Amino acid sequence: MQEKLITIEIDENGNSSLDLEGFQGQGCGDVAKDFRGGDSVTQSNKKREFYAQTVAVKQSQQQT
Amino acid sequence: MSQYEELTTTMTDQQYLVEALTEMGYKPEVQTAGAALRGYGGVSWNRPVQVTIPREQLRGALAPVGFGRDETGVFQAVIDDLDRKCTGLNESWLGRVAQAYKERQTMAVAKTKGYVFRGREVVQTPQGPKVQLRFAVR
Repeated sequence: MQEKLITIEIDENGNSSLDLEGFQGQGCGDVAKDFRGGDSVTQSNKKREFYAQTVAVKQSQQQT
Repeated sequence: MSQYEELTTTMTDQQYLVEALTEMGYKPEVQTAGAALRGYGGVSWNRPVQVTIPREQLRGALAPVGFGRDETGVFQAVIDDLDRKCTGLNESWLGRVAQAYKERQTMAVAKTKGYVFRGREVVQTPQGPKVQLRFAVR
């Protein structure tokens, strides 16, 4: 199973961004929430893994 | 005649601010209740500051630098305008303070939430150094 990795980049002005590897769906949001709670992340980009699960869930709902 | 100016920040935690300044080589003085900031030629700032870097620690500076909480609890930097223009105590310097602050804050949040620290890297960019912190989910 792929390890879930979080990279937080802090630029020269103290602005931070979040990058996630190995996460799918709501797991991304939970991590972003953790770090945003301390005002640590001011920008986050969703990766294709996030949408992969979202699409799968929608397709499942349409079939039922 | 120089005068103090206020530069905006988003920093709210005194501990991380002090740690950030310490990491940058300063020995900041803390007055939790707030103290007056007096600068070059007796010029003073009209609001109390909680964190001060004495002038002696600021190479070539005319006046100490202060960080005071505003009415919403956010620290604002108070810097002599001549020091801002001539000694590098400017927005770029304040950005480095904010960067060190954010690194401290991020490490603390990660520890509290149980993430596993996997490494730190500094990436040089044309805009300046960027700090990358890596964590894994336990």
